[in-house]
Amino acid sequence: MMKKLVVGLLTAAMVSSMACGAVMADDASAELLPGGGTKILYCITPSTSNPFFGTEQVIAEKVGEELGYEVKCFSHDDDAAAQLELFEAAITDKAAAIICDNAGADASIEAIQKAYDAGIPTFLIDREINQTGLAISQIVADNAQGAAAIAEVWVEAMDYAGKYAELLGLESDTNCHVRSENYHSVIDEYPDLEMVAQQSANWDQTEAYEKTEAILQANPEITGIICGNDTMACGAVQACTDAGRDDIKVIGLDGSDDAAAYIKSGEMVGTALQQIALITETAVREADAYLNGTAPEEEKQLVPCIAITADNVDNLSQFVYTEPAA
Amino acid sequence: MKSKSKNNNQLLMTLLKGRTFIVLIVLVIFFSFASKSFLSLTTLTMVAKHVALYGILALGMTFVIITGGIDLSVGSVVGLVGMLAGGLIQEGLTIGSKTIYFSVPLIIIFMLLFGCLVGLINGLIVTKLKVAPFIATLGTMYICRGFANLRSGGATFSNIKGYEGLGNTGFKVLGSNFLGIPAGVFIFAILAIIAAILLKKVPFGWYVLAVGGNEKSARLSGIKADKVKIIVYIISAFCAAWVGMINTAQLSAAHPASGDGWEMNAIAATVLGGTSMAGGSGTIIGTIVGAFVIGVINDGMTMCGVSEFWQKVIRGCVIILAVVIDQTQRNLQAKMALQARNENK
Repeated sequence: MMKKLVVGLLTAAMVSSMACGAVMADDASAELLPGGGTKILYCITPSTSNPFFGTEQVIAEKVGEELGYEVKCFSHDDDAAAQLELFEAAITDKAAAIICDNAGADASIEAIQKAYDAGIPTFLIDREINQTGLAISQIVADNAQGAAAIAEVWVEAMDYAGKYAELLGLESDTNCHVRSENYHSVIDEYPDLEMVAQQSANWDQTEAYEKTEAILQANPEITGIICGNDTMACGAVQACTDAGRDDIKVIGLDGSDDAAAYIKSGEMVGTALQQIALITETAVREADAYLNGTAPEEEKQLVPCIAITADNVDNLSQFVYTEPAA
Repeated sequence: MKSKSKNNNQLLMTLLKGRTFIVLIVLVIFFSFASKSFLSLTTLTMVAKHVALYGILALGMTFVIITGGIDLSVGSVVGLVGMLAGGLIQEGLTIGSKTIYFSVPLIIIFMLLFGCLVGLINGLIVTKLKVAPFIATLGTMYICRGFANLRSGGATFSNIKGYEGLGNTGFKVLGSNFLGIPAGVFIFAILAIIAAILLKKVPFGWYVLAVGGNEKSARLSGIKADKVKIIVYIISAFCAAWVGMINTAQLSAAHPASGDGWEMNAIAATVLGGTSMAGGSGTIIGTIVGAFVIGVINDGMTMCGVSEFWQKVIRGCVIILAVVIDQTQRNLQAKMALQARNENK
C-alpha cells in the first residue's frame, strides 16, 4: 500500500515537473533516490555480439571512469529473467546507478521496480519501457525522424520517380514498423515513386541477398531498394553488384561501419545513424548529475538520428559521429 | 478383380514414389503462370544458386539421418567457417609477433579440414560418449555459434577481397559464375554425384543403410557401426564447411549470425526427399528434388510478392503433407508385400 502511494506520488511529481520544469527543480531533488552507497555503475545491455551494444558498454565504461566511477558491464542476452538476476546483483553490490538497454518493454518493469525500491536509480538507453515514473530517464534514438531523414535523401537520389522494393526487418519487431511507416510517410508524398515489391528479410544479410536476387528477377524495372537496417542493405547491395545493377539506389538504417564502407565506395546512397554512443554518454552524465542532486528535466528523451551520405560519411566511425571542424 | 486392384495399387505406388518430383513439376508450372518472369533460364539459375546452399547441407544431412541420427550443428558450422575464412583473408593468422597470410586454395583446404574436425568431434561425442545425436549436435551448435561471434566480437568481416600484395585474392571465385552458372551450383553437383556414389555404389553406403536399419544386426554382421557413424558426421560438417565458404564468397562478407536456422532447411529437404527420420532408408536424388521443392517455393513466392508469414505457413504445410504421403506409401508397400505373399501360397 505504502509502496503504491509512493510510486503514485512520484509519478504525479514527474508529470507535473514535465509541465513546469523550472519550478519543480528544487522540489524534485527532495525526492531523489540515494543510490546504493558505492561508486559502482552497472551497465546492463543485450548481447555484445552486436557491435551496436558493444559500443554501449565501451562508452559507459569510458565516460563512467572519467567521472570517477567503477563500471561493471553485463549482458542479459534479451532474457528478462537474466536481466532480473543482474539487477539483483547490482542491488547486493550496492551500486550507485544502473544504465540499462532493457530486455523487453513490459518484462523489464519488475527489475527496474526492484532497483527503485532499493533506492538505486535506473537510466534506460536505446529501448523504452511501457511505464513512466520508474526509470529516471529513458533516452532513445528517434527512429521515426531517422527513417524520414534518410528517406528524404533517397527520394532526391531517385530523382522523385521510379519503381522500388522494400526489405522489411523481422515483422514482429516494433522497430520494423516504425522504420517502414516513416520511410513511407516521406516517399508516399511522391506519386511517381511506386513500390512494386515488399518482402521481409528478417534483418539477415544472406536472406536479403537472396530476396533481392528474386525481386530483381521478377521486377527488373526497379531502380531503388529501401532496407529496414544496414545488415540487409549490405546484402541488397551485394546482390545488385552481382547482377550488374549499379544503378539501384539502396538505403539502410543504423549507421554501421559496413554500410559506411559501401557509402564511401558509392554503392549505397546512405544510412541513418542512431547515435548510440551519444545516448550512452548522456545517460552516464545524467546518472552522475542525478547522484549529485540534479534530476534530468524530462524522463523521455529522443536523440535525433543523423542522415549519413557520401558527403559526411568520413565523420562516422563505430557509431560515433564527429562534427567536422567548421 | 484381384489383379485389377493390384494393378491400381502398382500405379499408385509409382505415383507415390515419384511424388516429390511431381510436386516440383506442379510448383514450377504454377509459378510460371503466377509470375511471368519465373520460367526463364536466369530465374532457374538463380533458384539453383539458392538451392545449392542448403542442398549441400542436405546431402550431408541425408547420410546422418539414414543412420538414425541428426546434425543440428551444420548452420553454426556455416557461420563459423565463414568467419574463420573471412578472418584468415582479412587479418591472416598471427602467431606470436608474426602474421601469416595464406593463399586462397590453402584457406579452402584448411576450412574443409576444420569442417572434418567438427564432424569428428560430433561423431566421437555421439559414439564414444554415448550422447544422443540431438543433444550432442545441439551442444556443438551453440559452441560453434559462440566461437563465430568470439572471432570478431560480433562484427562483420566485410569486403573480403584479399590483398594483391599478400597474394590472397580470389576468394570471390566461390561466389562467381562460370559459363553463366554459379560456382555454388557446380560444387553442389559434384558433391551430389560423390554422395550418390558413396551411398549406392560402394560398401560404405550399404553400411550406412544397414546401421540405420538395424544397428544390432549390422554390428553382428561385422560392420563397425561406430566408425560408420563418425564418418557420416564428418561428411555432414565437411558439406557445411563448403556452404560456409560459398555463402561468404557470395556476400563478400562474413557475418557471425550467418547460417542461423539453416539446419532446419536441410532437414526439411532431406525429409521431403523421402529419407525416413527413423533411419534405414533414403536417397540422394530424393534429397536433391526435396531441396529444389523448398527452393522453388521460397523464390516463387518471393517473386509473386507473398508475405514472409504466409511463406512460413505454406512451407510447413508442404513438409507435413510430404511426410503423410511418405507414411501412406510405406503402408501400401507393406500391404502389397503381404498380398504377394498370400498369392504365392
